[in-house]
Amino acid sequence: MKDTPLQTRLWDIGTDIGGTFTDILAVHTETGATRIAKVPSRPDAPVRAMLEAIAAVGLAEPDVRRFIHGTTRVTNALVEGRLPKVALIATEGFEDVLEIGRYRRTELYRLDVPPKAPPLVPPALCFGLRERLDHTGAVLQPLTEAEIARCVEWVKASGAKSVGICLLHAYANPVHEKQLMEALAPHVPHLCVSHEVNPEAREYERASSTAFNAAAMPVAVDYLTELEEKLPLGPGLQVFHSAGAMVPVPAVKRRPLVMAMSGPAAGVSASARIARTLNRPRVLTFDMGGTTTDVCLIVDGVAEMTDTRMMGGRPLRQPMLAVHSIGAGGGSIVKLGSGGLSVGPESAGSEPGPACYGRGGTRPTITDANAVLGYLDPEAKLGDTIQLDVAAARAVIAPIAEKLGLPIEDTALGIIRVANAAMARALRRVTVERGVDGRDCTLLAFGGGGPMHAVGLADLYGLNEIIVPAASSAFSALGCLTADFSVLQQRTIRMPLDGFPAEAFAARVAEMEAEASEPLIANGIPAAEIGMEHTALMRYDAQSDAIPVPFAMPLDPDALRTAFHARHQELFGYATAEPVVIESLRIQARRPSSTPVARPDVGRPAKPERMRECVFQQGRLLTPILPRETLTGTVAGPAIIEDAWSTVIVPPGWRARDDDIGNLFLTRSDA
Amino acid sequence: MSGLDPFVVEVIRHGLSAAAEEMSLVMTRSARSPLLREAGDLSSAITDAEGGLAGQGKDIPIHMGAMAYAIPELLKLKPLAAMREGDALIFNIGKLGGNHLNDVKVARPVFVDGRVVAWAISLAHWPDVGGTWPGSYLVNAVDSFQEAIRIPPVLLATAEGVQRGVMDMILSNVRDPVACEGDMLAQLASTRAAEKRIREMCAQYGTETFLAALKRLHDLSEAEMREAIRDLPDGVYEGEDFLDEGGPDGAPARIHVRIEIKGDEALFDLSGSCDRVANFCNMTPYIARSAVAYGARVLSGRDMQQNAGALRPLTIITRPGSILEPGFDAPVAAGNHETSMRIVDAMFKAMEGVIPERLTAGGAATSGLLNFCEPRKGLPWRMLYEVHGGGEGARIDRDGVSATRVLLTNTSNTPTEMIETNYAIRVERQAIRRGSGGAGAHRGGDGVVRRYRILAPEMWLTACLERSKVPPFGLQGGEPGLPFRLTLLRDGVETQLDGKLNMLLRQDDVLTLESAGGGGYGVAH
Repeated sequence: MKDTPLQTRLWDIGTDIGGTFTDILAVHTETGATRIAKVPSRPDAPVRAMLEAIAAVGLAEPDVRRFIHGTTRVTNALVEGRLPKVALIATEGFEDVLEIGRYRRTELYRLDVPPKAPPLVPPALCFGLRERLDHTGAVLQPLTEAEIARCVEWVKASGAKSVGICLLHAYANPVHEKQLMEALAPHVPHLCVSHEVNPEAREYERASSTAFNAAAMPVAVDYLTELEEKLPLGPGLQVFHSAGAMVPVPAVKRRPLVMAMSGPAAGVSASARIARTLNRPRVLTFDMGGTTTDVCLIVDGVAEMTDTRMMGGRPLRQPMLAVHSIGAGGGSIVKLGSGGLSVGPESAGSEPGPACYGRGGTRPTITDANAVLGYLDPEAKLGDTIQLDVAAARAVIAPIAEKLGLPIEDTALGIIRVANAAMARALRRVTVERGVDGRDCTLLAFGGGGPMHAVGLADLYGLNEIIVPAASSAFSALGCLTADFSVLQQRTIRMPLDGFPAEAFAARVAEMEAEASEPLIANGIPAAEIGMEHTALMRYDAQSDAIPVPFAMPLDPDALRTAFHARHQELFGYATAEPVVIESLRIQARRPSSTPVARPDVGRPAKPERMRECVFQQGRLLTPILPRETLTGTVAGPAIIEDAWSTVIVPPGWRARDDDIGNLFLTRSDA
Repeated sequence: MSGLDPFVVEVIRHGLSAAAEEMSLVMTRSARSPLLREAGDLSSAITDAEGGLAGQGKDIPIHMGAMAYAIPELLKLKPLAAMREGDALIFNIGKLGGNHLNDVKVARPVFVDGRVVAWAISLAHWPDVGGTWPGSYLVNAVDSFQEAIRIPPVLLATAEGVQRGVMDMILSNVRDPVACEGDMLAQLASTRAAEKRIREMCAQYGTETFLAALKRLHDLSEAEMREAIRDLPDGVYEGEDFLDEGGPDGAPARIHVRIEIKGDEALFDLSGSCDRVANFCNMTPYIARSAVAYGARVLSGRDMQQNAGALRPLTIITRPGSILEPGFDAPVAAGNHETSMRIVDAMFKAMEGVIPERLTAGGAATSGLLNFCEPRKGLPWRMLYEVHGGGEGARIDRDGVSATRVLLTNTSNTPTEMIETNYAIRVERQAIRRGSGGAGAHRGGDGVVRRYRILAPEMWLTACLERSKVPPFGLQGGEPGLPFRLTLLRDGVETQLDGKLNMLLRQDDVLTLESAGGGGYGVAH
């Protein structure tokens, strides 16, 4: 970076590297000019794909000032089990912690599927260390030098490329984990400790998170190091993390787990920014892809957070955006049994894909139903290779229609409604968790299928407004660019509000604020520009689940108690006079993004307006197909609004208008 | 298709499941007792106005089956016309489709335009409901009255709010009234959540459509179950299984099933099971039906909505005076989760010659319960209700999985770090019991070992383990798994304990539980 004059680096780039496509969005830092492209991903050469993406928007490395990317690379490696040799070190007597888990199975009525996933680390690579703490952090059995030596020898002999250390009660006192880490560091390429990855009680969840992190380290470090060589941008090279912000590369190398939900989090983060800009207090994001649909709730411009998610049947604990995923997307297979009609979770995937892709798919999918209804452009070439085959779609839907005694079109409409019901259930889930009425929300639709299904979903769920954002098809890439620079810390503190230890609390907050801002300051951000957000995770003494309640420093415990009671009432419909505890503290250091974004140029000529027959609940209607790029004023449904990569359906009874930066607003015509 | 839009039916099905899931979420997030919030020993259901099960969450199978009978039995005592908007009833007695007294139900009739369209039922396993022994599991109870407080259907809340007198009456009879009150409030809140969702659905689709959809869902499941039964060859198939004790002179107690498949109907005659036993392993006939319904569902190998319709093609017979229909006064605390599993295992064995490819060999099919209760003078008891998973049986195409729950139960363990933080207990070891799975062409899964050291001066223990004498069975020539083993180390002396007992532990006692491995499948090569 030093040998290139700074003024030539005038572009900020966001990319979202998905399983099939890499989306890229470049913004000129002075003019705000925006370029978008989509190139095929290369799972075997991800860095090369990124350089190709940069070329696809007409730029090269010396043009780039900041490069922020979200990637599913780490997640995919973990879920697909393509893992390096990982070892786990646990307290002796507890080395089977991963295999035991929590016993609970997900399929109650199926015997054929295994009740739970096998352990991430096989028994032969789990080591029991002689040491023991109690829950207060007091040492019951010291860790001796001889024991450390025994462990070092075992690790050397094991051939492990990466080691995770998770000792009992290390969240209360990390002394033994630190001692062992120091001793092992010279002998193993990658190493991580549970009190850094997930400093919270519950040994299985902490060990699972630590093992995930250890497994991700070799994959992530190789990849990030290659990226640093090819794109030597220094602090300008950043990664999008699961909690919805950017982190510099060196921090990610230590904790690659923060990339686990990188891609979906970027889309949500861009949504949060739109919610703030457009002043929408309650927003539901709706990102429908080929095999999954992700939804998330945004309240007052801030996306909801969660602590846990399951990945490949194993728990992962860290603060993350509360993106709820369901296994239904465009490729989900539709089945009619005597028990009724169902959609997913089985998917046609990208190979062979839906029948209408003409690549050998023989089972009906949601996308086939959309094709039958005329919503997809029969002349379009998807990803420049797939020619839409409507006849094939009709052929796979026909048997279901026959069995139901309905016309094919009515059956396709019904399939879409059932698919939307599954989506509505996901929306319900995220709103219920926060205690808000979903019907007051604005639906923000993006991803391949989001804008296509948005109105049907809104009708089913009683929503009144839909926004299809500009750049909706490369929305996660946009999220990378517009996200704040931020680092989040969370720790268990367990302080009662009765007899509140104010001094100890203030000291803890100051300590965590320093930890959270340190990586930002190290990246050249002035301390004065960093804002702090404080959240207390609170519960009644006898409960275990804690509710997030924001607060300001200096803390007023009585105000906090009142706020907690109000939130509990809002969530569960009652509050009591029981003692209240602050279980954990969450501190987020944040510096807002300064990248301006203008109306994107998709780099392809707009197609002229055409007409096509489409089927809606109201029947078969001749429908104008409008290019999104040239849209002006208000359009009444029926209409289909298309850009190069996405399709927005405006059924009769709805209308659409756009604003000057290209967002589309859909509302009911009678509203 | 009689005018009802098939897609609306499916949309309402999703809505019912979402509402039931929301009920369980309210419970786990806001309840007090660790048994509810950590182990998740609770279930949520929505029924039609007559009580036919319509929607359920992903909870505990044995609860769900029993809830199918709660409202129909309730309505025999209190007619629908007597219900008022805002009412919520609480009850636990066996007569109302009960399973055992610890499982307390709160049921709310959901009114739309002045009439009941559905019921929301929240079932929660309370850690203590009073009675002779803390935790309310008295192994050698003579009758139900020794077990716990018996709650007939009474109003816990009305439109005016919580009925304080009723609540206080209950709280005065349990050993942790503070947590219990929070749990009851959580149960009320969960039924209110479902009420809201059901009303929304009625407003959106019309009440008549909603009601018609519930009927249709029942019909669809019935059709699916009939089809599944038709797939089986007609005939009579018999199977038996044994409880560890309860028979004459302490011998194992027999559970027998005679299955008659005829066309698209199936009859399950359990009359050949033994007489009422002199311990807490009796069970209510509703649990017998719940167990058969579960067995039939998993044996069907089909994905169907588990509702009242799926039960219609099944005829289930129990014999009055037997262990499965022992009379209202019989102790039933353990029968709920122990004897019920023996019924499912007997069904599996009956079908071994017909559909071996669909069966799983025997597993650690028991609650695997250790209940630790610490008295604290003048304060609520502190109670840890800890269940233990074990090995799953093997199948035709795979080994059994280690350390899991099987069949009718699905509760979790409590993390060691949470036990040590909240109770006067240290967990000294928590490991896989290697080699405990039975040999076979495919091996059974292994059980677990957990060792507890008592740190309090006094700890009242209940153990409730099945498969500690009769081991989990193998199939098609596979070997059985190792049985449960419970040992006490006191003053340097190790003693093996009975799988079912009530006893006092003292400081520095060390209790080790080794859970059963699963049975193997096929002859080992």
